[in-house]
Amino acid sequence: MFRFIAVIMSGAIALTACSSSTDSNSGVQSAPDLNTVRMITHESFVLSPSFVEDLLEQGIDLEITSTGDAGTLTASAILAAGQPTADLLFGIDNTLALRATDENVFEAYTSPELASALPQFIQDTQGGLLTPIDFGDVCINIDDTWFAQEGTSVPANLEQLPEVANLLVVQDPATSSPGLAFLLATVARFGDEWPSYWEALRDGGVAVAGSWTDAYYTQFTPSGGDRPLVVSYATSPAAEIVFAEDASVSEPSTSVLPDSCYRQVEYAGVLAGAENSAGAQAVIDAMLSRKVQEDIPLNMFVYPVRADATLPEVFSDFTPVIANSTSLPPAQVSEQLASLLDTWGTVMNR
Amino acid sequence: MGNGDEPLSGTLASHLPRSLKRLWVIPAVLLLVFLVYPLIRLTATAWTADTVNALLASTLWQVVLLASVQAMLSVGLSLLIGIPIARVLFTYQFLGRGFILALVTIPFVLPTVVVALGFRSLFGDLIPNGLLLVVIAHAYINIAVVVRLVGAQWSTLDRRMEVTAATLGAGPMRIFSTITLPALRNSIVLASAVVFIFSFSSLGIVVVLGDGSGTRTLEQVLLRSTSVLLDFPTALAAAILQLIVVGLVFVISARVSRHEPRTKIILERARVRGPQAAFVVTATCLVAVTLVLAPIASIFWASISSSGGLTTGWWSGLSDFDNARIGSPLEALGRSVGLALFTSVIAAILGGAIAIAVMSRKAIVATLALIPLGVSAVTLGLGILLAFSRGSLDLRGTGALIPITHALIAVPIVVAMATPSLRTVDPRRYFVALSLGAGPLRAWWTAFGTVFSGVMLAAGGLAAAVSLGEFGAATLLSRTDSPTVPVQIARLLSKPGESAFATAAVLSVILVVMTMSLLLVVDRIASRRVFT
Repeated sequence: MFRFIAVIMSGAIALTACSSSTDSNSGVQSAPDLNTVRMITHESFVLSPSFVEDLLEQGIDLEITSTGDAGTLTASAILAAGQPTADLLFGIDNTLALRATDENVFEAYTSPELASALPQFIQDTQGGLLTPIDFGDVCINIDDTWFAQEGTSVPANLEQLPEVANLLVVQDPATSSPGLAFLLATVARFGDEWPSYWEALRDGGVAVAGSWTDAYYTQFTPSGGDRPLVVSYATSPAAEIVFAEDASVSEPSTSVLPDSCYRQVEYAGVLAGAENSAGAQAVIDAMLSRKVQEDIPLNMFVYPVRADATLPEVFSDFTPVIANSTSLPPAQVSEQLASLLDTWGTVMNR
Repeated sequence: MGNGDEPLSGTLASHLPRSLKRLWVIPAVLLLVFLVYPLIRLTATAWTADTVNALLASTLWQVVLLASVQAMLSVGLSLLIGIPIARVLFTYQFLGRGFILALVTIPFVLPTVVVALGFRSLFGDLIPNGLLLVVIAHAYINIAVVVRLVGAQWSTLDRRMEVTAATLGAGPMRIFSTITLPALRNSIVLASAVVFIFSFSSLGIVVVLGDGSGTRTLEQVLLRSTSVLLDFPTALAAAILQLIVVGLVFVISARVSRHEPRTKIILERARVRGPQAAFVVTATCLVAVTLVLAPIASIFWASISSSGGLTTGWWSGLSDFDNARIGSPLEALGRSVGLALFTSVIAAILGGAIAIAVMSRKAIVATLALIPLGVSAVTLGLGILLAFSRGSLDLRGTGALIPITHALIAVPIVVAMATPSLRTVDPRRYFVALSLGAGPLRAWWTAFGTVFSGVMLAAGGLAAAVSLGEFGAATLLSRTDSPTVPVQIARLLSKPGESAFATAAVLSVILVVMTMSLLLVVDRIASRRVFT
């Protein structure tokens, strides 16, 4: 039996050895003067390998670890405030940013590259603590094929949604981030009257899913469900083409309802107490570089903040930036979130 | 549950060579460092006066009540489905038995997001989201717990009592309720406790298949407080409350359990004779296979269909999928297998050492090892993150945190399954070996070696299976450029587009096949030793 354990042990060690050699960035030997920077982010973070490779050429060895979703990421950063588990954080959004900046999670840094951002983002730094990197919208997605076949008219704005609520699936805002964004969109539009709007949706037969995946992949009509309206992202139609089975598919069968969109901004920040804050600042600069900004859309399906970044064709053709999307002031979100969710639960009997 | 006062431990302890008596230190230290310390660290960081208020508030207690009812229903349904399957698999010998035993274990180790989506596409139109669907899904996941725990005891049951009762004229139902069921009491109690805890602390299933208010669990409150509201006092209160409930369940189950006679024999399984037995075996196996395969079949279907009809494109395109920039699925597979192997080594050592701890009356170690059952992956993951991500204690880069966490998550199951099998040993063999001139270590190995190595093997195998399917801790601790298979499945499922969904389905099917093969091999090796 001891021989057996020895065999397993050596196998496991050999295997971890191989896997770690492929993990460490493209096999480059880490020189002693290499500047290691550690970044924590959420599980949806993706960029092309060239991001890390280019940094390596500048002498920065970037280690990226993910910590659950954006919420769990923020939670872990707040719990470790002052004694951070990394040097910088990417992926905190405008819904939760204020909570983290209030808890002294970040130290101030203004990237010189931020001057090249779209005008609305240049000052969007939560008092100099955070750097906006990308933005996106949560919107109602429409299965155009279904509406064409049924000959039914597509709702034109939020006000018309309750009439077709039995065609709509949303997500529980307590467990789903797009679900929360859509709730905030209705609060931004209807103010204190938002509960009666949701009562109308409820009475109209809206479906509530626990997760985006369930809503999109089992209840949305293109996936074989029975709801042709779903809360998803503004870029989902573009993603449908990028991830289509057939490379010749050139036009999405879904579109978004621009009037329903809620704006989400993702930030990066240097963590207060970082061991390598200079390195962290350099990584933030790199994330705002034109090359990385143009790499963002097709990887994370959000839009770059940089004004001169060119969008890939599939984006400019089918999912141009939504001009008039709404958002709530961070202070209001931070203050009211708990009571909003409680009221929503009461209205929807959940 | 390895109570120190059980006659078993007393006897075996006196046979333990001195050199082995101190081995319990290994699991004790590992558990203290990687379980107790991170939890204390997390509690110390998040504790405020508001935690006490949250603990006393009625909202959390309402959740406890609701979740308890849900968990009890889940236990009932799991027993109802699991016990007949356990009977057929552990009292009869027939072709395909090993295959079905491995098959019913699959749901237990599949990532819950995969199970939940399989259920949604299977029952979406028939059963609305809510308590019923949640209970069915929990029963589905936990069949293996009932089958393996109850089955292990069933195979040691002396069938002469049943035969005697039958010749005296008792009907099969009467024999079952008056003789068989009481004899299986301990394993049924233990299985119920484990299923209760899994259902009580369920997350993925209640999020996707629940309806909010009626199916809420503390784990769900915890997730909402941590990742949406950033309300740490409530999150901590929920975590503490969950630990208390889990602790209570174990105390109760230990109280309800009966002392076992110290030695047990494993009986040969009977051949299937006569049309009645053949019918029972065939029918049960058919039902079991259908139950387990139905949700898996719907996943398989998704892996071969597209908007344009049936296709093999998703499978053949697996190695090219890297182009879509989510990371290579094949690399993730290799990584998961490596992690599973690493996990199995740690779990085998832990399991073996805990077995010895149980023998040497350090039952406290075995009890400690059960804590992870009541600790959510998020809590444990955050704790480990806080404790081991900084300065001299930075273990994140070493890649060791995931296998260590997976081993911790798997160990309770290992302990639950292994401790009973230690009772099958006849200590007289130890004395025989001693009297024939063997040294104490050698004599101990002669007497207990087969059981012991069986425990280690089973521990390693099960832990590897758990590791292959584990998602919660892996998503908190993995490097973004090196996701495990379940993490990658979840990533794919969060992207719109046909190929993302279908590739997730392909990966899930591969995960099922890998887990299945692993379980077949482990069951085969272990069956030559202890685990029937």
